[in-house]
Amino acid sequence: MSSDTAGARESRRSGLGVQVMQWMENLSDTQYAYLLLIPVFVLLGSIALYPLLRTFELSLFSTTLGNVGEFVGAQNYVELFTGQKDAILPGSTTFLPKNLSLTGMVQSALAVTLIFALVSVLFETMIGLGQALILDQDFYGRRWVRAAIIIPWAVPIVIQGMMFFLMFNSNIGFLTPPLADLGVLAPTNTLNDPASSLFIVIVADIWKTSAFMALLILAGLQSIDRGLYDVARVAGATKWQQFKHITFPLILPTIGIAVLFRSVQAMRVYGIIDFVSGCETVPSLSCMVVNTFLTRQGTSAAIAFATAGIIGVVVMLIIVWQGEDAI
Amino acid sequence: MAAETTQQEEASGPLQRWTQRAIQNPERIYRGLFYAAMVFFMFTTLFPFYWLLVLAITPEGQLLGGSYLPEIDLFGASATFPLPVPQGFNPAAFIEVFDQLPFHLYMLNSFALAISTTVVVLIVASLAGYVFGRLDFPGRAFLMLGILAISYFPPAAFVVPLFEAFTGNAPVVIPFTSIPLFTPPRLLNSPGSMVMPFSALFMPLSVFILTTFYGQIPDGLEDAARVEGTTRLGALFRVIMPLSAPGVATAAVLTFIAVYNEYFFSSIMATSPEAQNWSPIVGGILSFQTQYTTQFNLMGAASIVAVLPVVVLVIIAQERIVSGLTAGALKE
Repeated sequence: MSSDTAGARESRRSGLGVQVMQWMENLSDTQYAYLLLIPVFVLLGSIALYPLLRTFELSLFSTTLGNVGEFVGAQNYVELFTGQKDAILPGSTTFLPKNLSLTGMVQSALAVTLIFALVSVLFETMIGLGQALILDQDFYGRRWVRAAIIIPWAVPIVIQGMMFFLMFNSNIGFLTPPLADLGVLAPTNTLNDPASSLFIVIVADIWKTSAFMALLILAGLQSIDRGLYDVARVAGATKWQQFKHITFPLILPTIGIAVLFRSVQAMRVYGIIDFVSGCETVPSLSCMVVNTFLTRQGTSAAIAFATAGIIGVVVMLIIVWQGEDAI
Repeated sequence: MAAETTQQEEASGPLQRWTQRAIQNPERIYRGLFYAAMVFFMFTTLFPFYWLLVLAITPEGQLLGGSYLPEIDLFGASATFPLPVPQGFNPAAFIEVFDQLPFHLYMLNSFALAISTTVVVLIVASLAGYVFGRLDFPGRAFLMLGILAISYFPPAAFVVPLFEAFTGNAPVVIPFTSIPLFTPPRLLNSPGSMVMPFSALFMPLSVFILTTFYGQIPDGLEDAARVEGTTRLGALFRVIMPLSAPGVATAAVLTFIAVYNEYFFSSIMATSPEAQNWSPIVGGILSFQTQYTTQFNLMGAASIVAVLPVVVLVIIAQERIVSGLTAGALKE
């Protein structure tokens, strides 16, 4: 009985299915393409495009304690960039640096984000290049060395945070005393000191993402025609000359793309900061958005949209700096 | 001058001999540098794992007692041992992790979220990859650029309205009008509030990977399947997708790892770090940090347990990861 109804339902559904299939067979390529793209449009439209527009809209309204208030135009942005919003940011943090001293810089969300991105991407590129040059060689156990080098990239941010929290914690962090002796870190309350914490999260990020740079650069290295090195060797070029005149110029475009990609990611930094030291200590732009969005949606949205704009400007600068081939 | 040369030739310590040969043959220097750099990189990447292990097996009472860098007596001269060593041996921390908190539930949540996101991404990105890789239609380049542009926006630019919508108190309004569309259900603390943002966030990479792979399948194979009577969708799921199995596996592995690693939405959309609220490992590890503030052995043990799945995945699937990351990023 029940199997009968199930069978009937099955045949009805397949009847409808057949009709849909036939209808699809008769679509033109363009119609078919857009039909298949509907899920992408729905997903990106509702989870990316709608929120983006709504963020922009919210950023034009005043908010007090969670209630969206009246339309204020660009006032949120103006107040953000003139420092009048600093009072509602967590701790003693500011949006723009108060002054150009180190203290002023490490308390500013904008400066911290840019310093974080610049320093970490710079070191990741250099270390990634080193790692890629090693992985490009043929040696016994290469597979295992490569796995070891990739593993940090796959470590969840929260565990990466735990590792560095435990290495620099003031109770048990054995790395704090020697580095404090060198003057790099504050000797006590290290994870509440803005400059020390910024240093630690940058080191953590370099540890995790150098591998990503290494993989991209390695792909560039392996696309180089090996014949060029034979020619160079016959011509008597040393290894350094081979690197300087063949390897480096040929992987430069790859490095450019990798730098672009990584800069965009580095400027979203949130998790490692939130876990290791907290947003009051190291204010990144994403941190400021998360810290304000429950009570001050307008301000939060303005910071979020400004962040997207700043990332856009940085992307443009990198593309201009590298020329057209960056995309 | 002559005396110097004889001195050098007479030098017989192993270091001098090595230097001597290195000067004659620079290849040896490069070899030496190569191994030194390799050991250095291996040490720096693996050291934090070792430190977690040291803390995890140190008994609770010994955690704060004394230095992890012991003084050792080396033929009369005392020196600090350069590597931290555990202060005792207590593997029970690995069991206690599951007693103190339902840590296995956090991990199950992570797996469930990662697997469901991977399924959604694979289906949606397969359709898009087929369209971009195999069909030629007006607007193709523009749409691909649009997907790329969206992937450049930070998650912070999406979170305010998404949190508002997932709270489910007010209807979703078309931006810049006051026309209400519908009131969404309350999705906070449920898988939906995380799977949807994850899918949107990580789909672009899979679209680009699958576009590359699907584009490489010869047209003849698809045509043959169609002549045999397969439907258009059937050709995609029965011919193109199986033939691109390595590409599909690559996209799946990368999406899984990306979701397992995600912090931003995982920590926001589960409003409190409790396993019943679908909080993934982010919530579990955060709870150890905030509730068991001095039980560093539990923090270490929990981290090791939670990191094991991705370590195993990297070792098994490293070829796929390498090809996927490079293909995806360089294509973009």
